[in-house]
Amino acid sequence: MLEGKTIVEISCFEVWRRISDFVDDDVEPELKQRLEFHFGRCKHCKALLDGTRNVVALIGDEHAFELPRETSERITSALQRRIAEDAQDERKE
Amino acid sequence: MMNELPNGGPAAGTERLRGEGLFPGVIDAVEPPHRPETGPRAASQPKVSGEEIALIERICAGERDLFMELVRPYQRLVYSMALSIIKSEPDAEDISQEALFKAFKNLRQFRGESKFSTWIIQITVNEARHRLRRASRVAEESIDRGIESDEGDYIPIDFADWREIPSETLQRKELRECLHRAIASLRPIYRDVLVLRDIQHLSIAETAELLKISEISVKQRLLRARLQVRDALAPGIHGSWNTGSTTYKRVKPF
Repeated sequence: MLEGKTIVEISCFEVWRRISDFVDDDVEPELKQRLEFHFGRCKHCKALLDGTRNVVALIGDEHAFELPRETSERITSALQRRIAEDAQDERKE
Repeated sequence: MMNELPNGGPAAGTERLRGEGLFPGVIDAVEPPHRPETGPRAASQPKVSGEEIALIERICAGERDLFMELVRPYQRLVYSMALSIIKSEPDAEDISQEALFKAFKNLRQFRGESKFSTWIIQITVNEARHRLRRASRVAEESIDRGIESDEGDYIPIDFADWREIPSETLQRKELRECLHRAIASLRPIYRDVLVLRDIQHLSIAETAELLKISEISVKQRLLRARLQVRDALAPGIHGSWNTGSTTYKRVKPF
């Protein structure tokens, strides 16, 4: 925390460039403080931050790309069948 | 690392997998779903487990039935990769089956230089892309709803009222399909980074190594991918999570 020091304003453009890094907690401490200060004052960038965080959470959610049980069973059955057929084909050769 | 295999394993003379498509190199992938807790650099990941090595050797020696045991833990990984590239669940199912069968046919080519999951991912992605090319279904025009500044920065759409979408809503097939479409519609260079980072949970360093690009490029592409998906999702499914106007303005710089 840079107590007693002036926080240099940051433009929205610069915020947008680093917003993905901020979501990943991959920014330098000083920049992080400037970004947090900006988010407290700029509703547009705060909305962008919230949206980006939600996107990352959605995409990373295991339910986003779920493998339904029925689909798994079909894939398994089809694969087993093909492997068996492949074995038969090899024996014929 | 694997010795010469006796005859009787997966068909001899099968096509050797080349490092084509997305993943020409080798990399140690993180088991999904997992993301390193701190910072972008993950510790070196373990390679193939001893159990897997033993299974693979037995399968190549003729115990074909063991292949299902080997790949069962990776079914969801394969399916999620296929679905993230192609929009259709039925197609993703076909691709998954085909990719797993190709893994079986080419198992002798797996040398244990990377994790088995990485090898499977490579096969799946190549199969999905092959399917797209074959059907002449090129990636749709980029969902660039935003515009670019003079310096090439992506300028996102402004909407002040993004409600948090709880995970439970992912149960809704509609949202899931919208998410799939949004991701599949990204330009490949952005989609690939997004898939590896946010779906497969690889670190920045691992993603850079796998894609043979710099870490800075990974971050830049990830930024754009995330913003584009955000723009694609937020205007919404029947506007159900925004109460504002359906006319969205560009974000006004501070």
